[in-house]
Amino acid sequence: MMEKFRKTVKRRIAISSGMTLVSLVLGAFNIYSIIFSDHSTATHSDGFVAGFQFGLIISIFGFSLFDIVKLSLAINDETKLKILYNKENDERMKTIRSKAGMPLIAITSVLMIIAAIVAGYFNIVVFYTLVIAVAAQLSVSAMVKLYCMKTM
Amino acid sequence: MKTRIKELRKERKLSQEELALAVGTTRQTITSIEVGKYTASLVLAYKIAHYFGLTIEDVFDFSEEDEF
Repeated sequence: MMEKFRKTVKRRIAISSGMTLVSLVLGAFNIYSIIFSDHSTATHSDGFVAGFQFGLIISIFGFSLFDIVKLSLAINDETKLKILYNKENDERMKTIRSKAGMPLIAITSVLMIIAAIVAGYFNIVVFYTLVIAVAAQLSVSAMVKLYCMKTM
Repeated sequence: MKTRIKELRKERKLSQEELALAVGTTRQTITSIEVGKYTASLVLAYKIAHYFGLTIEDVFDFSEEDEF
């Protein structure tokens, strides 16, 4: 069982490393675009969408890097690996996550963010609407999770 | 639900972290079960009871539960 989990952790480290690399390339491209784009024709909305994308890329980079460090520390220590396994498979946490709408909320949020970025190039109102909707559903989910963690 | 987990832990000088690690759960879940906020599943209840070498009824008090 632990050997299977160890393989899963190794796969997750590889995925996170890939994400870090991709976000690094995208981040560099984003900075390049901001510096060398034609500022005379750019609107306030263009700047906002670009800024949002850059923020998202930085966040993905940060989370991926954090994940790599956390998982690498766990994979080299049997006790930490067991604690991580227990944490991820804990029945109480599974119940709380399920009450908070996970993993469906996370999946729909990612899809809505992708849709928002694409829509941002055509209609800024749709972009704002989708981003606010994602923020709202994630906030509700986080509040439910916090409430359940207090009461369960 | 009332349990004897805290009492059994103290007898064996066992921390919540150690018990959690042994039965495949987290320290927070052990805390919740001890204070009666969370009712363990049958599998977890069995694992805890088995760890202490007792039966589920010896560890968990079902007397206050509704009768079917």
